[in-house]
Amino acid sequence: MNTTESTLYIVNPDVSCREEGPDGALLFNPDTDAVLVINTTGLLIWEALRKPRDKAAVVAELMSRCNNVPADSVAGDVDEFVEQLVARGFVGIYQGVVQF
Amino acid sequence: MDDLSLPKVMAAPKSVDIAITGRCNLGCKYCFYADEMVALRDLPTGRWLAFFAELGSLAVQRVTLTGGEVFTRPDLFELIDGVIASRMRYGLLTNGTLITEKTLAQFEQGKRRLRLDSIQISIDGSRAEIHDKTRPGSFDRAIRGLRLLVEAGFPMTVRVTITRHNVDDLENIAHLLLEDVGLKSFSTNEAYACGIVERQEDNLILTPAQRRQAMQTLTDLVARYDGRIGATAGPLALAREAERIEAALARGETGFPGRGTLCGCGGMWSKLAVLHDGTIVPCHNLSGLALGVIGEDDFQQVWLAHPTMVMLRQRHTIPLQSLETCRDCVYQGFCTGGCPQGAVFHTGEVNARNPMNCYRVFKGEDPYFSLETGGAIDYTIRQRNLWSDKGIEEISRMAMQNRATEQKRV
Repeated sequence: MNTTESTLYIVNPDVSCREEGPDGALLFNPDTDAVLVINTTGLLIWEALRKPRDKAAVVAELMSRCNNVPADSVAGDVDEFVEQLVARGFVGIYQGVVQF
Repeated sequence: MDDLSLPKVMAAPKSVDIAITGRCNLGCKYCFYADEMVALRDLPTGRWLAFFAELGSLAVQRVTLTGGEVFTRPDLFELIDGVIASRMRYGLLTNGTLITEKTLAQFEQGKRRLRLDSIQISIDGSRAEIHDKTRPGSFDRAIRGLRLLVEAGFPMTVRVTITRHNVDDLENIAHLLLEDVGLKSFSTNEAYACGIVERQEDNLILTPAQRRQAMQTLTDLVARYDGRIGATAGPLALAREAERIEAALARGETGFPGRGTLCGCGGMWSKLAVLHDGTIVPCHNLSGLALGVIGEDDFQQVWLAHPTMVMLRQRHTIPLQSLETCRDCVYQGFCTGGCPQGAVFHTGEVNARNPMNCYRVFKGEDPYFSLETGGAIDYTIRQRNLWSDKGIEEISRMAMQNRATEQKRV
């Protein structure tokens, strides 16, 4: 699937997320039986994607919630993590409707 | 050993075993759930759907729907759709006799097929004369249901429960299931002591000689069929365990890592169960340990903090050395104490070993329990937890909590 900088992403509504305190959370996709363990930063990104957002908006959301982190580093992490989530069906592309 | 040695308790169980009905069209002779089926009433659809939504909100990953016979519930597919809407996967345990072409078509709607982990059917013989001795009048219909599902490509498992009636039929059963029906694999267990088994006129439980025979036959069949027969309990599991223990002893070892305590069950770290009247229990095999009622008690709190669950997890820290029955056993370091169900059934206590899983008992070397009576209750002492008085206090608290829950249900 082709994506651009302004592509909007959103969590797959069928995926459940169980927070496990300071350890982060567990994502579960019941359609594929895939499980992904995410840390607290991953959980922040996941929470940010509960609404349709592009990667820049996710980075901005993280920057607003974290102190003293370089924007370049956050952007790289968000890009890598979101692509991983998309590839595994945890997050979809939002175009009015969600596409996986 | 302290709490730090125990695994972390997750925020919710990974899976929940749910008996959605106490109705059954069969009367199997070793059914561990028979007493509950008679005593308790089914819940209406809405109660189950609300419960599934609660499980979904806790991000429980999967449920196993069982009974009774799940296909006797006319709303079964409505319940399955509730599981799916709650973002979970599901499995079904069934006797297979009510499955028709129409049933298969119903699975094709929505995500019913996509979210299905597996359907398990019990087959106890290669022909009706054997199978029907423990599962009366059901062989032809069960095999028909099984063939329909296999031919339609459903994810299938079959469980063979070994009894005195089919111990001589294991080769034929393997041929039927693996070659004729074409299953990828099947699993085995054995009938064990529970209420209804004790009341049967014909004893189903294997004699020691029959258990040895089953161990040998199954080991041979595993080799012949390239590992396509499995077991987590029963003769095949015992055969594998015995082989490991004897090999380790021959190497001069005194135990396996992580053993030597009452750690034989990991269920309390990953799952809970619910009876068909909504009673929450640790496991369907421990249905007397009521923890709460769905829709009335906070399921997550039951999971995290109910004294019985806490006690069952603490059970893992109890050294076998502290049990009168085990303290002088040479196999102690290899042992887990076995399944708590048998401990409760044979001793009345949770914090005890299960003699039916005991290697010393199997070898006929145990001073406290003999299999020569068919695994019957000839206990010479009641086992006590000698580890600490705190354990006994916990049991008392648990009993009081259970009584309070029982009163709430009434």
